[in-house]
Amino acid sequence: MQRTKHIAIILSDTLQSTGLQSLIMDYFHPAEISYYPGFSLFAKVAYDSFDYYFTDAETFTINADFFLPRKMKACILIHQSDPLPHTLTPYYIGVNTPQEVIIEQLQTMFSADNHTLPYEGNKELSPRETDVLQLIAKGSTNKKIADKLHISLNTVLSHRKNITAKLGIKTVSGLTFYAIMNGVISADNMEL
Amino acid sequence: MPLVDANIQLSEVVESHSSLIPVLNRFGIKLGLGDKSVKEICKEYELDTDFFLSVINTFLNEEYFPEKKLQSFHTSQIIDYLTKMNFYYLKFQLPNIERHLNSFISMSKPTNQSLKLIGKFFASFKNELTARIEKDQQQWFPYCLGLSKKLKGDQHKEPDLLLDPEEHSEDTIEALLADLKSIMIKHLSGTYDQNLCYAVLFSISSLEKDIKQHNRIRYRILVPMVSAMEQHVSNQNS
Repeated sequence: MQRTKHIAIILSDTLQSTGLQSLIMDYFHPAEISYYPGFSLFAKVAYDSFDYYFTDAETFTINADFFLPRKMKACILIHQSDPLPHTLTPYYIGVNTPQEVIIEQLQTMFSADNHTLPYEGNKELSPRETDVLQLIAKGSTNKKIADKLHISLNTVLSHRKNITAKLGIKTVSGLTFYAIMNGVISADNMEL
Repeated sequence: MPLVDANIQLSEVVESHSSLIPVLNRFGIKLGLGDKSVKEICKEYELDTDFFLSVINTFLNEEYFPEKKLQSFHTSQIIDYLTKMNFYYLKFQLPNIERHLNSFISMSKPTNQSLKLIGKFFASFKNELTARIEKDQQQWFPYCLGLSKKLKGDQHKEPDLLLDPEEHSEDTIEALLADLKSIMIKHLSGTYDQNLCYAVLFSISSLEKDIKQHNRIRYRILVPMVSAMEQHVSNQNS
């Protein structure tokens, strides 16, 4: 599952902001977009909860205290006639450039930041989780698994939860299949 | 996507969404739609236009689910539609997947162990679904209809079974299908017939979409309707 991007658009121009919203929704789903016509309104909310900020050069400059430390997450909308605001932020969108160019600019921004998004974590099963998986695949109940591994029922449940989260497989049939395919158990000693 | 309304030509909608065809068939509508609007078609087939529109719109838009509106329809309409869906699974979608799956397994290398496992996996899914359908048709649906009749005063006998709130913490049927699909996509190995593999996955995906709609109607419309009726019945009795 792709992570939902939380985006704040701080622009006084309603049409610009609507257009930007619709481009993001069409091409960069999933995203949750909040719209603020002015910085003062934006400042009232928990503004650090956003992954990206879109604004214009003026707002950026006036509120540089806020934007400069977050410039890797900020994108400025500019007119072709404006000087390029390279010094302000690496990301900008030309409002009067063709749509495909704007999409490319958005792509650059969203993909560049990917490595700073929280890493999804290790998908490999731990040795203990593998033990549990083995027993699930053999058809053991949670109670039996707990007895056999000398752990509590709650621990079994939390292992199961982690296994499902790591493998993305919910059902016993699915887990059994995975176990056989990956040599966790051999096909002979089980019945599907 | 925009919602379909009563004045739109049904043929236009179907042209861009051929997955609607089985839904139309369930209502008894056959292709050869001509230029008729949704309203005209519904009149011709004696269908409730509002109900028909709600069904196709919720089928086409996963986000669109007007609970209040759907709950305003008659219990028998909802059950009739769910019954038709059940019938369609048993009669067409399951055999269709099976047909593809069997040739997929037999056309691929006999040494490929993973395919046999997929076959077994599907068999266990089929058992679950068949069992649920049987229970629907023999117990749950008659019970719901009995309740609604009783409330209308057509029937004074208490419906037989007053239990089974159909707990829906996790729907096994949906989970099994999702696992089956993701396992094929992520963990298939060895030599196999790619074209048939696609046919299997395609038929599984279309069943999955259908079952999602079925479950949404089932758990978010029928279940609340039934508990509201149960409430009424017990108030009448007290």
